[in-house]
Amino acid sequence: MARRLVRAFGDVRAVDGVDLEVAEGEIFGFLGPNGAGKSTTVRMLTTLLRPTDGSAHVAGFDVVRQAPQVRAAIGVALQDAAIDPLMTGRELLHLQATLYGIGRAEGRERSERLLDRVGLTEAGDRLVGGYSGGMRRRLDLALALMHEPAVLFLDEPTTGLDPMSRVNLWDEVRRLNTEQGTTVFLTTQYLEEADELAHRVAIIDRGRIVREGAPATLKSQVGLPTLLLDVEVGEEERTREALAGVGEARPSRAGRVAVGLYEGAAGAAEAVRVLDTAGIRIHHMELNTPSLDDVFAEATGRRLEGAEEAAP
Amino acid sequence: MTVASAPTRRTHTVRQAAALGRRAVVRFARQPSSWLPATVFPLLLVAVNASAMGGVADIPGVVPPGTTFLMFLLPAAIIQGVMFGGINGGSELATDIQGGFFDRLVASPVSRPAILVGRLSGAVAFGVVQAVFFQVVLWPFGADVVGGPAGRLVLVIVAALLSLGLGSIAAGLAARTGQPEAVQGFFPLIFILLFLSSAFFPVELMSGWYRTLAELNPLTWMVDGMRVQVLEGFSLSAAATSIGVCLGICAVGMLFATQQLRRRLAVAS
Repeated sequence: MARRLVRAFGDVRAVDGVDLEVAEGEIFGFLGPNGAGKSTTVRMLTTLLRPTDGSAHVAGFDVVRQAPQVRAAIGVALQDAAIDPLMTGRELLHLQATLYGIGRAEGRERSERLLDRVGLTEAGDRLVGGYSGGMRRRLDLALALMHEPAVLFLDEPTTGLDPMSRVNLWDEVRRLNTEQGTTVFLTTQYLEEADELAHRVAIIDRGRIVREGAPATLKSQVGLPTLLLDVEVGEEERTREALAGVGEARPSRAGRVAVGLYEGAAGAAEAVRVLDTAGIRIHHMELNTPSLDDVFAEATGRRLEGAEEAAP
Repeated sequence: MTVASAPTRRTHTVRQAAALGRRAVVRFARQPSSWLPATVFPLLLVAVNASAMGGVADIPGVVPPGTTFLMFLLPAAIIQGVMFGGINGGSELATDIQGGFFDRLVASPVSRPAILVGRLSGAVAFGVVQAVFFQVVLWPFGADVVGGPAGRLVLVIVAALLSLGLGSIAAGLAARTGQPEAVQGFFPLIFILLFLSSAFFPVELMSGWYRTLAELNPLTWMVDGMRVQVLEGFSLSAAATSIGVCLGICAVGMLFATQQLRRRLAVAS
């Protein structure tokens, strides 16, 4: 999709040689802290900004030489939901239909379908200025879907949304991807969001891609998930011995056993079976998997800002 | 996916421009803060001027016998209303740029000229409404148009073209700066130019450098051409002068606007 993409602003290389490959039909999470180059990359991929160097193809078209074709193939929901507050949701959808060359009757029909889909049928004739943040994002999504794009760009779609609205939007994106096979390019600073939605993620930091892959793979590369077991005091050693084949023992306090599972999270079931056979009672069990934040920390030596508040 | 062929592209451009023009009008109507001053202030200024300087009309040669100073001021009222509207159209473009709606347009396959044409058609529509409105409202107070329907039509045409010209200059400033405030800041300049013309006061009664400036000011030629329609009767040559000045402003404005818009879009692909 992108090859050695560079965008410089003066001396600052905001995007410094980014290579990305997004497969058709996947949800791709583009992750990074504020100012890492996420939005700049998206603006180049959506033809809003000309790359200083390198090239990019979206839906098979070159973003510079075939910009009109790219624009017709993509749906874009940009950061801050740039929606005209003085228009109603329905009016904006009708306008969007015309801008994408969709006929009047067809545009009206699609508008109704989309309003229904994002749950805004009732609010369709109200001015967008009175919408809540979640409603605006949903309308933004509906607008981006008007021409049934092959590729959908969502730039920080849930920033500033309450947890409930966030989950609703995730469901909608997932549904779109599975039912219509829409390729989704999602930028986010929320690790949880990328983890929930994306089939694959790329982590960008200071204009460069530092990690790329499936969330599970990336996490497993950071380290084994740790299984924490609370057992009777005195039983710790017997427990560790019983689990020797499942994972490596890690230091822990009295009454607790910590084991790094060789097989990843899947090893937890085996651990329980082994302990059951050995007749060891478990009072409490906990599985700590490395998060994408751990992946980010391992790659950059820093924690991703905003990671804390993203936790539900 | 198919790329539209040339004729369908053209129909698309027209439809897109029309839809964007409709949006401009709807937005305008929903913001009383943008049309109320454009409607009320010219009326106030005309009222103040008419009562303060109504005596001017008694000086022989300023207005033809049987006409009033209010008739003298009718073109000024229309031009003022148009100024508000035209500049507002430009600052609306800046608002779009600031708010991100412009990005949404640029990321869509909308034809580039349609963005500008749509914006300006909103301003032109407002200019026409203003020209009709002031003629109707001031009529009961004695602001008749001696030139009859033809003269009235000239006033409307001049208003439409002036809206287009001022609107495009404002749109150019909007494309350049991306800030509604910067576009609004341009307003006093136009207002001064209007005061330095015959809009509110007959050139015959001015003196010194002020008179020289007013006589050189193209706005004076435009106002005088309109005034002939109101005070003396329909005149093709006077109409041509007024329309010519407007076309000149349009040419400069459109050139500036397309250039600045192209400059802004040059960062995009």
